Amino acid sequence: MTTTVSERAWIGKDLKRREDPALLMGTVTYINDFKIAGMLHAAVLRSPYAHARIRAIDTSAARALPGVQAVLTGKEAAEVIGPVPAFCAEPVVEHAIAVEKVRYAGEAVVAVAAESRAIAEDALDLVEIDWEPLPAVTDALSAMQPGAPLVHENLGTNVVYDHVFTFGDVDGDFAQADHVIRRRLRWPRATAAPLEPNGAVCAYDPARDTMEIWSNTNMLNSASWVMSSMLKIPPHKLNFYPMYTGGSFGSKHFLAKVIGIAGALTKVTGRPVKFMEDRLDNLMANDSQGPERIYDAELAVTKDGQFLSLRLRTIDDYGAYFIFAITGNTNMMAQITGPYTIRSVETGIKAVLTNKNQQTVFRGAGSDVGNWVLERLVDAAAEQLGIDRVEIRRRNFIQPDQFPYKIPTGNVYDSGNYPGVLNLALEHFDLDAWRQEQARARQEGRYLGIGLATAQQRSTYSSTEFWFHNPAPATGLNSTPESVRISVGPTGGVTVTMFSPFWGNSPETVAAQVVAEELGIDPRDVNVTYDSTAHALPSAGPGGSRMTVMLAGAVHGAAARLKEKIFKIAAHMLEASVSDLELVGGQVRVKGVPSSSVSLADIGMRAYWFKLDLPPELESGLEGTFTYDHPYTTKPHDDRKDLGVFYPIMGHAAHLVAVEVDIETGAVLFKKYVAVHDVGTVLNPRSLQGQIRGGIAQGIGLALLEEVRYGPDGQNLTSTFVDYLLPSASDVPAIEVYHQETPSPFTAYGVKGGGEGGRMVAPPAVTSAIEDALRPFGVSIDEMPITPEKIVRWVKEAQSRRQGQSN
Amino acid sequence: MKPARFRYFAPHTITEAAQLLDEQGDEARLLAGGQSLLPLLNLRLARPSALIDLNEIQALAFIHPRNGGLVLGALTRDATLERDPLVAARQPLLAEAAHYVGHLAIRHRSTLGGSLAHADPAAELPAVMLALDAAFTLQSSTGSRTVAAAAFFKGPFQTALQHGEILTEVHLPGLPPRSGSAFLEFARREGDYALAGVAAVICLAEDGTIAQARLALCSVAPTPLQAIAAETVLRGRHPDNAAWQAAAEAVVDELKEPPADIHGSAEYRRHLAGVLTRRALARAAQRAERSHS
Repeated sequence: MTTTVSERAWIGKDLKRREDPALLMGTVTYINDFKIAGMLHAAVLRSPYAHARIRAIDTSAARALPGVQAVLTGKEAAEVIGPVPAFCAEPVVEHAIAVEKVRYAGEAVVAVAAESRAIAEDALDLVEIDWEPLPAVTDALSAMQPGAPLVHENLGTNVVYDHVFTFGDVDGDFAQADHVIRRRLRWPRATAAPLEPNGAVCAYDPARDTMEIWSNTNMLNSASWVMSSMLKIPPHKLNFYPMYTGGSFGSKHFLAKVIGIAGALTKVTGRPVKFMEDRLDNLMANDSQGPERIYDAELAVTKDGQFLSLRLRTIDDYGAYFIFAITGNTNMMAQITGPYTIRSVETGIKAVLTNKNQQTVFRGAGSDVGNWVLERLVDAAAEQLGIDRVEIRRRNFIQPDQFPYKIPTGNVYDSGNYPGVLNLALEHFDLDAWRQEQARARQEGRYLGIGLATAQQRSTYSSTEFWFHNPAPATGLNSTPESVRISVGPTGGVTVTMFSPFWGNSPETVAAQVVAEELGIDPRDVNVTYDSTAHALPSAGPGGSRMTVMLAGAVHGAAARLKEKIFKIAAHMLEASVSDLELVGGQVRVKGVPSSSVSLADIGMRAYWFKLDLPPELESGLEGTFTYDHPYTTKPHDDRKDLGVFYPIMGHAAHLVAVEVDIETGAVLFKKYVAVHDVGTVLNPRSLQGQIRGGIAQGIGLALLEEVRYGPDGQNLTSTFVDYLLPSASDVPAIEVYHQETPSPFTAYGVKGGGEGGRMVAPPAVTSAIEDALRPFGVSIDEMPITPEKIVRWVKEAQSRRQGQSN
Repeated sequence: MKPARFRYFAPHTITEAAQLLDEQGDEARLLAGGQSLLPLLNLRLARPSALIDLNEIQALAFIHPRNGGLVLGALTRDATLERDPLVAARQPLLAEAAHYVGHLAIRHRSTLGGSLAHADPAAELPAVMLALDAAFTLQSSTGSRTVAAAAFFKGPFQTALQHGEILTEVHLPGLPPRSGSAFLEFARREGDYALAGVAAVICLAEDGTIAQARLALCSVAPTPLQAIAAETVLRGRHPDNAAWQAAAEAVVDELKEPPADIHGSAEYRRHLAGVLTRRALARAAQRAERSHS
């Protein structure tokens, strides 16, 4: 079944993304473009306090404003909608509009639906609230102290989850170690900040008790049954439409709050309601802030530089709610030991609630953090043992003949060639030349640094990840399917229908390329559409770098079913046997007899309109559907000593970076950036490179610029793009991207997912480069973002330490 | 993020605009490029009762040579300052600094007069005005007056403009021969508000010593700041690293309480002011020397 590389017509071709013309010409409809007759516009009043009780709310003046159709407090909304659906086992309840008390600055308190957004905002000005401010707790360490203000009183503590996972003989391995590398590392709170915020248009039909929902949520098909309890409408009476998403970076999951707010308002007004977050709404309350972690990290190493064991203790600031539980921490267990043969690992996770917008997951989903922590330890080990940073990595790589390779947590890496990736990166970077340049610059008092990271990029998530952290799961769900329908019309036109939305990735390009490969046609001739949940086949939606793998599998499977019928009809038409036929260039022909052929159009017409001329056992019509299940996943052990296989489609990358640091201003200037990624068979180099470059830009943002900041009183200090600093074009260097292709043995065509790798690998590479530039001062970097002010301070501190020593 | 309601006027002449200002009272605001005012409106941090849009007043957009210097209309866009050959020839400092205002798309809208009247202490152009010894024409329905830049900036977002007055013209005297200038700033990203910025002008005497230095900073004080002590330190000295270092130290001493925010502490801004002063002066002197050779 599997074709070899040389036989492939379209897989691996560098084709322009077919999504782009519509995006560039503005012909797609985003939520905010979407209009429906009678639609109202919603706006939300947000809490000015990080922690406060709501004594009373007076909405009478707001209701009286002309153009206002509904004003809902949390209490009133709770009469028509239930709490936000949550995946945590712990009793942490969140409402789309806060009831009784607010737990972070920016939490929704009142929602208004009016004839325009401006009128809705005018109405918010007229709402009066009697507040009882409560002391806020804004960092995890204070929140853990006894007597700290409680974010959720019913829990009796702010430490909502506390568990140590041990895999293998960690104590034994540490006892054997010649060196233990220890670092306290801090990962900053960042946020996905897509160009388009979250939004939904909900239209309730009281006559049918149905609701139609146009939203940029990714989990359309999971959304129906999960969201049903909140909207209080049976799942089969909810219809979600896939919408073009203006960026997500893995942050737009259920979006239950925006759907809940628009849903409650449409239920009370009987008119369609749009709630579209603006930038303030999004930066204060998007529910997609990333982790904010303190690690005490230890690596056990032999005197030869062999890594034996890894021990982590994590304190993670989750903010005010806990909808995805500790998914961001379990995710990294898929690749916690990196590309190295570390034989045991222990990871302790304390999840702490504070008065901040909640953490969920976005691009990297915690595996970005794991890579940074591990690569920091590896660089520290190299420094402490006096082994070259390249050499120490080589000594510990899993070797190409060791795959499939099971890591201590139970996850399996499917395939890889890590020395190959590193060699390719070194070749393109010219390390020796940069080391010479670095030495020369230091003579002139300039500080060049060379950074290196060799790290994993897991792909193709399995839903077991969402619950295996619980000793006794309420659900043991373990399906993560994706489906497509391919139909050939009566005139031979081919249409692929997907049930996941466009999420900023390239699903249409992928689907068309694979269909073209399988049917021997040009991808430009393939039409790609999306369908709503009312008509959908099983689909888990984008996330966890899965769409390319899952769509390739689904299209491959559907094409096989379609071809079966195509061949049966063609065999009948050509009076030949199926085994004698081949499909070439959109024609089915008798092998070796090109003149004896029928086209897809001939077959389509026959299939739809000439039933009496079909083989009698065939129904009219010509389509193939296929639901592709996760290619390789297993259940966790009951005692969780083995988490099972949950993220086996394992990519890898090596980044080499040269920077120059201006030690007077703290400015960091990129001189060269080389990224080599191995995500198996490359389906489309152009779209993959776009993903990698975008991810690296985001990783550079995290390393140098981005941080969600809260003041001591819990005020969000980064609620606009003046203060939340995303990298702009001038902050991102030219990035050279190269590929190595080590196919996965488990997926269609051997592809692996590549959506998150850039962001997973750039932060450790950039950190490593800046630390190397500052090596003459003995600065060790244990936190991000690495701001210019911190660089100047570290250098000054190092200089005064040295002066202190020499005096 | 929608503004609260306001009345909107788009006069075609300065006289008309001044009349509207009188009629609409204290709560009316003038709209030029909107670089600063529009975000304030959308965030509802500013809630004017009326906006008087100056963009239709053609007579406010011009650049004329005068007495070796320049006169510029208040509605001159920053993108024009950046590219105009006359500005480049007579006051290259203005062109160099204009490049640091926001991003290109913003500079096509943002205006010289708007930046000066808004008087954001972090803005580049107010500091440049101090360094170039500018004067401003302020016009009202009853007449006009001229105010020197040094007397114009009163505090953060506060100026000598009184209600009813419109800043209409900017006058820049010419520089003597053997002059050079430089603008340098440091921001977290290109286009962001500077954490510190320095506008420097060096005029050399016949003997190669510094005849006059003018130095102004942005983003390190409640107003754009003319560094008078540093200017004094430099007068008569040889243009060398020791001079720049002495000037930088004078600047750092002069800064009492630089502002602090999440992007930079007061201490860091003070430090940056010193580093940038040194670098800007060196560059200005290099250009002064080159202008003569």
